[in-house]
Amino acid sequence: MRSSQRRRGAGLLAMLGLLGGLVLVGVAPVSAADPVVLRAGTTQDLDSTNPFNTILVVGYEAFQLTYNLLVEFDKDAHPAAGYADSWERAPDKVTFHIRTGMKWSDGTAATSQDVCYSWGLAMAAIKDDTNVGAGYLDPNVKDAGVTKIECPDDSTFVASTTDQSDRIFQVYIPILPKHIYGKDDYKKIADEKFDAPLVGTGPYTLAEWKTGQFARFVRNPNYWGKQGFEDEVVLQIYKNSDTMVQALKSGELDYAHGVNSDQFKQLQVDPTFTTVAGKLNGWSQLAFNEYTKPIKDGGASTKALQDPAFRDALGYATDKQALVDRVLGGFGDPGDTAIPPVLADWHVAPDNPRHFNIDLAKQKLDAAGYTLDSNGKRLDKEGKPINLRLDYPNTDDNYPKVAQFVTSWYAQLGIGVTSQGFDSATLGEIILPPEGDGKAKYDIELWGWVGNPDPNALLQIFRCDAIGSSSDSQYCNPAFDNLYDQQLKEAGTARHDTLAKMQNLIYNDAPYDILYYEASLDVWRNDRFASWQSMPSDGTPLFTYGILDYTLLTDATAVPTPGATVLATGGASGAPTSAPSTGGTSGSSGSTGLLIVLVIVVIVAIAGWLYWRRRNAPKVELE
Amino acid sequence: MNGRYLLRKVTQAIVTIVAIVLLMFLLFRIMPGSPDRAVKRPNITIEQVQALKAQLGLDKPLVPDQLVTYVRSTLSGDLGYSFKFRGQPVTEVVADAIGPTVLLIGLGELIAIVVGLALGSLSGWRRGGLVDRVGNGVSLILYSMPYFVIGMPMIIIFAAGLHWFPTSGMTTSGGSSDAVSQLVDLGSHLVLPLVAVSLGLIGGYSILMRSSILETRAEDYITTARAKGLPDRRVLWTHAFPNALLPMVTWIAISLGYVIAGAITLEVVFNWPGIGTLTVEALDSRDYPLLQGIFLLIAVSVVVANLIADLVYGLLDPRVHA
Amino acid sequence: MTGPAAAQPTTAAVRRLAAVRRSAGFATRFLGRTDGLVGVIILGFFAFIAAFPGIFVGPLEDVTTATGLPLHAPYAAHVFGTDELGRDILNLTVHAARISMTIGLMATIITIVVGAVVGIVSGYVGGVLDTILMRIADFFLVLPTVVLALILAPVILDVIGAGAEFGGIRATLLVIVVVIGLTSWATTARIIRSQVLSLKERMFVDRARVIGSGPGRIMRRHILPNVVNLIVAQAVLTFAGAVFTETTLSFIGLGDPVAPSWGQVLNTAQAAGAPGLGAWWYIAPPAVCVVLVVLSFTLVGNALDDILNPKSASRLRVVDEP
Repeated sequence: MRSSQRRRGAGLLAMLGLLGGLVLVGVAPVSAADPVVLRAGTTQDLDSTNPFNTILVVGYEAFQLTYNLLVEFDKDAHPAAGYADSWERAPDKVTFHIRTGMKWSDGTAATSQDVCYSWGLAMAAIKDDTNVGAGYLDPNVKDAGVTKIECPDDSTFVASTTDQSDRIFQVYIPILPKHIYGKDDYKKIADEKFDAPLVGTGPYTLAEWKTGQFARFVRNPNYWGKQGFEDEVVLQIYKNSDTMVQALKSGELDYAHGVNSDQFKQLQVDPTFTTVAGKLNGWSQLAFNEYTKPIKDGGASTKALQDPAFRDALGYATDKQALVDRVLGGFGDPGDTAIPPVLADWHVAPDNPRHFNIDLAKQKLDAAGYTLDSNGKRLDKEGKPINLRLDYPNTDDNYPKVAQFVTSWYAQLGIGVTSQGFDSATLGEIILPPEGDGKAKYDIELWGWVGNPDPNALLQIFRCDAIGSSSDSQYCNPAFDNLYDQQLKEAGTARHDTLAKMQNLIYNDAPYDILYYEASLDVWRNDRFASWQSMPSDGTPLFTYGILDYTLLTDATAVPTPGATVLATGGASGAPTSAPSTGGTSGSSGSTGLLIVLVIVVIVAIAGWLYWRRRNAPKVELE
Repeated sequence: MNGRYLLRKVTQAIVTIVAIVLLMFLLFRIMPGSPDRAVKRPNITIEQVQALKAQLGLDKPLVPDQLVTYVRSTLSGDLGYSFKFRGQPVTEVVADAIGPTVLLIGLGELIAIVVGLALGSLSGWRRGGLVDRVGNGVSLILYSMPYFVIGMPMIIIFAAGLHWFPTSGMTTSGGSSDAVSQLVDLGSHLVLPLVAVSLGLIGGYSILMRSSILETRAEDYITTARAKGLPDRRVLWTHAFPNALLPMVTWIAISLGYVIAGAITLEVVFNWPGIGTLTVEALDSRDYPLLQGIFLLIAVSVVVANLIADLVYGLLDPRVHA
Repeated sequence: MTGPAAAQPTTAAVRRLAAVRRSAGFATRFLGRTDGLVGVIILGFFAFIAAFPGIFVGPLEDVTTATGLPLHAPYAAHVFGTDELGRDILNLTVHAARISMTIGLMATIITIVVGAVVGIVSGYVGGVLDTILMRIADFFLVLPTVVLALILAPVILDVIGAGAEFGGIRATLLVIVVVIGLTSWATTARIIRSQVLSLKERMFVDRARVIGSGPGRIMRRHILPNVVNLIVAQAVLTFAGAVFTETTLSFIGLGDPVAPSWGQVLNTAQAAGAPGLGAWWYIAPPAVCVVLVVLSFTLVGNALDDILNPKSASRLRVVDEP
């Protein structure tokens, strides 16, 4: 029995040692890191490092760090030199001049052939009336009216266009290295994994990606532009904004994208942080189901929704300012027209704005023939009380709050509302009409859209041919479609005037009641990096159009700021090193393995001990 | 235990796995909503939607076409490509998430088993004593607490408040360094979630072990051992404990089978990159191939754990022979 | 496995007499159990506020009727503080008691009815039916509850329709009720089945069969009364599990924001960033309530189980954590 005691003691010691080790490990100071790392957090999970496959903002951020666009964005989100350093506009074509002496991060020469290859992928897909990968990038080329691309020599790229619009300078097609992907056509490129490390011409190239954790980018020594101060950029993924903000506060994170309004307000008054409420290119809306044909077991519950006068009256019953104040915490703008104010070149305020006025809404409903019954319920023209289903995606925490407001406002008009949250895949299917193999069984959809630098993407959803694909109001007005086609060929003031007409047309017809333009709430620490600039000036520094700000940051510790705390990690000192860091790519997975081995050893030890006990126990029984 | 018994059990397990996998294949597709509608997309035509569906293999009828394709490729070891993490094979996406899950939940189970069994034994051995009243009380309270109710206050106090540990995540990415400091980094991230898992699991083990010890204590051989004047502690640990452990073996084996499924709420609260939240993401985007991969894994691990529980129980308890 | 009730059910008079004696004995024994008593008192308190939330705190506040300052620590007008919309946390917590308890009750009824019927029929009829029912039970036992719930929720919402309402409970919460019922009946069925299997072999069942009673009558008149004790104890434990599971499911986003349960309040607290903002007053009340209620049900359930089924091995409600 002596041996048994000893063994048990050993087992317990091992266990205690493991626990103690973990605790020690926990309180041990983090060792000083050599390279300067910028850590930016987001709550979106990076879905793919393949530019043609990502559909998320964080994915765009990732591929733009690695790859250049032909034309980049300056700090006002206007066209700026990128892969091409200059260009000339002719009536039917644009000639781009590629930078001379530019190299890929692996040292290969970067030429116009790479552009012809990358744009060629989109051109081939358009020709076949399909998409490349997820289908988010190639519509840019189509929308720019590109008919033909040529590479007369290694430093020239020529794109022929149908019109004179500026959209060709906003084409989000990353220039990929032809010497690596050249063998892929537009179908095969969608299956490419784009495993790290990637070869690019951007300021930082992808060095490591851990699904659901982070993507790490290292300095590209061959980058043609100004080298950034930080040696590495890490896009850190969080499952909710709470853990992200806590990491920001503790110094594990330098920049947080998309915090909520309460967190924002708390950080706003803390001198350690700078906060910015950037205008977002999108909105949230009530989309009314205006599908006109009868649908078996589906469609809207009342024909009143097809009546512009009815929808117009409802527009007076939503207090947009109250939603901004109470739901968004004041960070956003009340909604009106279908081009968000952030696109200042194109946005116009409505000519006949609707102001919140319940009594006026009642009068308008009465005048339009929707009267109250003896119980105070509003009747439609078939004499049926109006009870509307309001469906929203449960991914957005604000929508249930908006739904409660809308319910109480409509109730004052005598209109009942039943609100219901769905997961977005289900709601996306509920709103589909027969054209998209669905039943469009809803009355009001509360959801939102985010657009491109060009307003076309957000206007396209009101076209007749969007019914069955993008449309969530089933709105169709040939007059709108004509204006849409007309503005495609226009530029400058002419286009502005047409877009103004279209915005007013949509506002007056009211297929949507656009509730608010949300703000993007971003926060960064002041103690490690300085010289943050919002791009454009009413936007945010990171997670915006282009990635210019990553190369403009400077060392915050070089110029001592009062009140700045010194961090334990303290890596941000001295001049930036020019050599890229390549170490430690496999380390974290290695240590996971190490711990797992440790665990297995402990399991085996305990199992052995238990077996030994078991073998010895019955002996006593028999005695 | 004879060969026929073994064969029967193994066959049963395989049948169960196959049934679960096929049922889940159908259940995922009965769910309303489809992968191509999980994200709102402007700038897309009906033709492009159809092309996308065809690309994902969703344009063909569910039975037999899609099912046959699925069964055929699964049998050949090909789990296909994820819809959401486009271009990534399911095996790789799942493999990335298994490590963190097994590390956290597996270690948590282990600690909970050791502490829970010890606590339960001491409580049951001195029924009504101080250890029992405190130990059993604490066990019952822990048993009534969901993981996130344990985890949220821990973050507030030890991470956000005292800064003893990082707030969330599994590693500090970027920077440099050698394996040792990375291990230190991993360890410091692991402490809080690990304590939360362990606390969440200890209650169940302790309560069950306590009642098992209570039953064992009444057995004749324990009385005999005591009568022989053996020290009380020794009777507990060398005689009562191993025998009381027998009924626990099944429970432990089955619990270990669930390790692979992860713990969603814990992963959300601690931003831990495991299978639980991966499952939620796969469900949100109706990522059928990824879901099938995850559930194949869960079904196999749970059923195999049950099988092992059966077999081990059969080995340890001579009465089970069939 | 015999309870005292299973002993001698002969004539109606004797049975009635025995019942009276039993209930008297039951009361004394239950009063002697401190843990059970404490549990009953706590539950009584929560049942009362759940029945009449209005008389304590007035009607449920929503975003349109909230009057407090946003996310404010306790102050004179709101002694429990406010949430991010300015709603009173006390008001929310009290009304959430009603939602949580109602969902728990409804889910328990479904679980117990389905579990008891399947358990009795499966155990008594046996054969192919037994095999089929138990394989179905396996399916629900093998897969982790929370993951299964996430898959089933949209399917059930699709089946019952978004407009469904029952007893003032909206569709979203009905989905949770059904999901909990579906994922937890199998445990009850298994436990009751094994009891029925042993009852089936007993004399009085044989006697009933000999005098020509049909299987339906035997199950109703002879088997059911003898598993009632088991069902009662199991029901109380199931209630604990149902509240626990509801909290977890609501926390991960299946709850109804319009009718918040404790789990839903914790969900909005997490979404509003309460842990990081140090808003402990937003988290503590619902969390403490959940733990108290789950704990009380477990205490009462265990006490009942000990008294009503003294010889049965101690059970725990099976909660495989998410």
